[in-house]
Amino acid sequence: MNANRAITTNPVETAKQSAQRLVAAMPRLVLEARRVAASVFHGLHGRRRAGPGENFWQYRRFHSGEPASRVDWRRSARDDHLYVREREWEAAHTIWIWPDRSPSMDFCSKQGLEWKLDRALVLAFALGELLVRGGERVGIPGIMRPTANRAVIDRMAEAILHESGSPESLPPPFTAGPRDEICLLGDFWNPAAEVTSALATMASGGAMGHVAQIVDPAEETFPYGGRVEFLEPEGAGSITVGRAEMWREDYVRRIALHRDRIREEAARHGWGFMIHRTDRPASELLLALRARMGETRNAIVRQQIASRIPEAAA
Amino acid sequence: MIPGLPLDFVSPALLTALLALPALWWLLRLMPPRPRRIAFPPTRILFDIKPKEETPARTPWWLTALRLLLAALIILAAAGPIWKPAPAGMRASGPMVVLLDSGWASAASWEQRIRAANEIINRAENDRRPVALIASGAPQKDASLLRPGEARDALRLATPTPYTPVRADALAPLSQLLRQHADASVIWLSDGVDTGDGADFVKRLNEIAGDKITVVTGGIPTAHALKAPDNTAGGLTVKVLRADESAPANGTVRAHDLRGLALGEAPFSFKGGELETEARFDLPVEIRNDIARVEIANERSAGAVQLLDKRWRRRTVGIVSGGTVDTRQPLLSASFYLTRALGPFADVRTAESAAPSEAISHFIDQRLPVMILSDVGTIAPSAREKLERWIDDGGLLIRFAGPRLAAAEDDELVPVRLRRGGRVLGGSLSWEQPQHLGAFPRESPFHGLSVPEDVTVSRQVLAEPDGQLADRTWAALADGTPLVTSTKRGKGLLVLFHVAADTRWSNLPISGTFVEMLRKTIALAGTTAEEAPRPSAAARPTAHTIAPSRLLDGFGTLIPPGPTARPIPADFNEHASADHPPGFYGPPENFYAVNTLAAGDKLAPLDFGAIKVEPYRQAATIDLRAAMLAGVMLLMLADGLIVFWLSGGASRLAWRRAGTAALIAIAIFALGDGRGFAQSNTPAPAKPALSAADDFALRATLQTRLAYVVTGDSEVDNISRSGLEGLSLFLAQRTALEPGDPMGVDPARDELAFFPILYWPITPEAVKPTPEALAKIDAYMKQGGTILFDTRDAFASFGRGGGVSPALAKLREILSSLDIPELEPVPQDHVLTKSFFLLRDFPGRFATGKLWVEALPGPSAETETRPARAGDGVSPILITSNDFAGAWAINPDGQPLLPITQNEPRQREFAYRAGTNIVMYVLTGNYKADQVHAPALIERLGQ
Repeated sequence: MNANRAITTNPVETAKQSAQRLVAAMPRLVLEARRVAASVFHGLHGRRRAGPGENFWQYRRFHSGEPASRVDWRRSARDDHLYVREREWEAAHTIWIWPDRSPSMDFCSKQGLEWKLDRALVLAFALGELLVRGGERVGIPGIMRPTANRAVIDRMAEAILHESGSPESLPPPFTAGPRDEICLLGDFWNPAAEVTSALATMASGGAMGHVAQIVDPAEETFPYGGRVEFLEPEGAGSITVGRAEMWREDYVRRIALHRDRIREEAARHGWGFMIHRTDRPASELLLALRARMGETRNAIVRQQIASRIPEAAA
Repeated sequence: MIPGLPLDFVSPALLTALLALPALWWLLRLMPPRPRRIAFPPTRILFDIKPKEETPARTPWWLTALRLLLAALIILAAAGPIWKPAPAGMRASGPMVVLLDSGWASAASWEQRIRAANEIINRAENDRRPVALIASGAPQKDASLLRPGEARDALRLATPTPYTPVRADALAPLSQLLRQHADASVIWLSDGVDTGDGADFVKRLNEIAGDKITVVTGGIPTAHALKAPDNTAGGLTVKVLRADESAPANGTVRAHDLRGLALGEAPFSFKGGELETEARFDLPVEIRNDIARVEIANERSAGAVQLLDKRWRRRTVGIVSGGTVDTRQPLLSASFYLTRALGPFADVRTAESAAPSEAISHFIDQRLPVMILSDVGTIAPSAREKLERWIDDGGLLIRFAGPRLAAAEDDELVPVRLRRGGRVLGGSLSWEQPQHLGAFPRESPFHGLSVPEDVTVSRQVLAEPDGQLADRTWAALADGTPLVTSTKRGKGLLVLFHVAADTRWSNLPISGTFVEMLRKTIALAGTTAEEAPRPSAAARPTAHTIAPSRLLDGFGTLIPPGPTARPIPADFNEHASADHPPGFYGPPENFYAVNTLAAGDKLAPLDFGAIKVEPYRQAATIDLRAAMLAGVMLLMLADGLIVFWLSGGASRLAWRRAGTAALIAIAIFALGDGRGFAQSNTPAPAKPALSAADDFALRATLQTRLAYVVTGDSEVDNISRSGLEGLSLFLAQRTALEPGDPMGVDPARDELAFFPILYWPITPEAVKPTPEALAKIDAYMKQGGTILFDTRDAFASFGRGGGVSPALAKLREILSSLDIPELEPVPQDHVLTKSFFLLRDFPGRFATGKLWVEALPGPSAETETRPARAGDGVSPILITSNDFAGAWAINPDGQPLLPITQNEPRQREFAYRAGTNIVMYVLTGNYKADQVHAPALIERLGQ
């Protein structure tokens, strides 16, 4: 079906239906996310290293020259050596993941493998799981505070299910810390100006970010013909097209233009812009995101290490 | 009804909906075709695109017109249009008189005739004209004008008459009506059949009504009729009549017995313009005698039915001749004349070269109803007693005089006392001339036969005159001398012809009257004293009458007699009339049939002379709804296609075309590939595909296998299979035979010839095999196969006290269709007891049942000393009730599957041994029996 699952005029009804559907689909999405995350996890190494943090990491021998306050006397009393209790490094690094849950994501054409919303959620969960395993904190702007809980997928799913109010296409204006990272998963079919201004707001705090546009194949190829009335699912109106096949070229050109503008804005803030089609496997985008995040994080870690060395030296 | 147009509507009120069409026009013009609605997230992108060429917002006018037409058609169809072509032309005003032929000839197409009459009434109703209805079958005394509603009711009540109505009866009321209403017009719905009075009727009708008459005839086939059924020696023939060539030329005549069961069918066909043809039932005489009703299939009319009573029954007559010359001069003998005379209506058996007494006993033993003794003088006392008893029980004995009868002393088997000697007329010693026959008395069964002029009697035996002689005389000579006399004896009848059955005494035997006399006489056979129409009715000069019991209605169905049907006289021999409708008269066991048409009736096309003639219209009204709805469907289809085209459907198909083309390509490739495969396969004999039957045959023959019959009950089949597996294992362990895995076979489908033995468990629910399957089983048994039937119920039938268990009953049912030899329980010296193990009995899960085999020839002196006997070959059948398979059945791990009634290990072992012996027996036959003799043979060889 080339349309939303339900075209109803009553927004409450629509929201209720989509919420019910979401609840029904959530366990499947969670499983799918775990599967995707597991397949990506192999070969990637987390932040398992000693550093500033809350949790015990290991005891190591005391090196002379270190502050005496670091000695763990309880452990050192057991034998003749002095030990230092190391804690696991917990980087104060937060990643905000924003899966777009607006009605426009509720779309799946015959060419698409999956509803866009499902794909966005799967990616969000999988990414969250990956990042938490990698020692990061993950949050959803507006509805979930950053957490490093192992059961992050469940937390995210609960937060999304308990979200009050109708979901918006773009994240609510929030201030991300300068070392935070933002990952936007959505279709970004809002007018380019809205998108760029939202990006500008988010990037204003100095956060890094990634914009992944999840689109249905039909939205790229426009496989329509004949007399068609196109409805905007978020209530922005409709347009009746006499012979849809005549519109294809113009549409494709406009899409490219739209994307160029978003990509340009993203690049201006040093953010990445990726396009993901729902007829491709979800892991493809996940790997790409993971790789890009790795780059940015390495840069951040380098920054942090650089900033800590003088501290340690002092 | 629309003036000018013969179009009518069932519910004309719906036509007002046509007024809404302009509004619909406006709406349709306004509304463009609805686009497909698609939710499309990037719609906002589309907002920025400058609009391309659009379809017009308004529907093109021709599409609107098409849709308006569609709507109008739907409204018209809903109103129920009926096309009514104008019926027969007639005067525009004045009363209408419908003259309806309602004889049997109308019955077959009664509905069409009534419909035609109804249409005329409907039209009269439309034109507000009164109607009069005169049915020729039941004309009222005075026909009056009716309102159309009343006329319709009267028409509904009208039924065709089963007899031929007298058309002239309708003339009186008609002329009376026409006198009262000079402006009336007459429509005669004629059946077009002239049964004799047609021309006269047309002439008189013309005089009365003249040019006011319109005849409706033709257009529907005229009636067939049956007459003159004749039960001849070869078969039952019946004449089929038709009035003209519009009646179908081919058809079938069916014969039924009294209960309505169909006994036979015979086709008939008219060649060219023939109006009369014959249908012939070639049935055995016993079946022909049961025929009580002959009718034309699919023609519901009393005229198409002929009822048969005992007069049409063919009797078997035994002829005993006292003469010896019969064999020397066969063509001059009395037997020959009698055989020829009886041939048309009876089957004759002659006593071949046997003494009269023997022949009489012989015929009585054969239970013949009629016997003719031709010139038999003295009868041996034993045969005579038998003969008297036979007559008392209802036999009909006809005797013919002759020299021996005339010479016989004290012959009591005659109806009247005879004077010895007889008289000779016209001889040299007589001054009297040979006598002619006198008229037949009224009471005689011969009454009604024409008295032949040329029959003379020159010699006869004379009766002693006494008081009863006149009553007993059926026929006399012109001078009053009795020629045929009869008397009742018990239930039977004794008839004496006072002349010989050959031409020595008279020329009666070579006249046609002789045949008729014999026919009438033999028709009395088997009747009982009370009902027989017999000539002793001197006290009741008004001939005795027979009341109707079941009569035919006009459609040829038997109904109880109505109040108007009157009894028929006993000698009624005409066609049916209003007083005597066709049907069965008299009590059921001795009924008398009256038919619509008698043998002399003829059918002819009715000649209407100068009267205007119109045909019946077969489909008088046409319901136009179907046609209109079909038109609506077509228009809808067209509209759909147009809308599809308008909304760019063609281009939408375009991107699909690639996929379709690919599909077609794949299909073609697959076909081509398949063909190529087949071609490449035919020359290469490398690996021909095995059919299922071949596969079965290979599996069955590559290894010796035990087989069981699949019953369809999965539990039983599982036990059969595992039982034979267990037996196969036992055989492999103990004997040289290593059978393959047992196979289940379906006797109906599979070839059985591969298996030495079939184990067939019988379940009470089993379905009896089809005749084809039974034929295969029979062939299997005949060609050396052995079937081991197991009813598996020895335990269940133990306490039954000799009753037949359900499985045994089923087995008997199956075996009843097979050629089964005589059976016996396995005797102690049967080779089965020694073919491998030495066994005394053959237990299975139960030990109480016996194993039955084909009975061996009894022990002869030579074989008595031998320890084992075997017939030639192997018993084709073994029957047990001990549930062998249950005892043999093992699990895959070799453990027994089912418990055994007692002596667990021992009885199971013996069950296996019994199975082994049976298998060895069927595989080796009597070889094992010979083996038993080996020591004796060796000894005889002197070693």
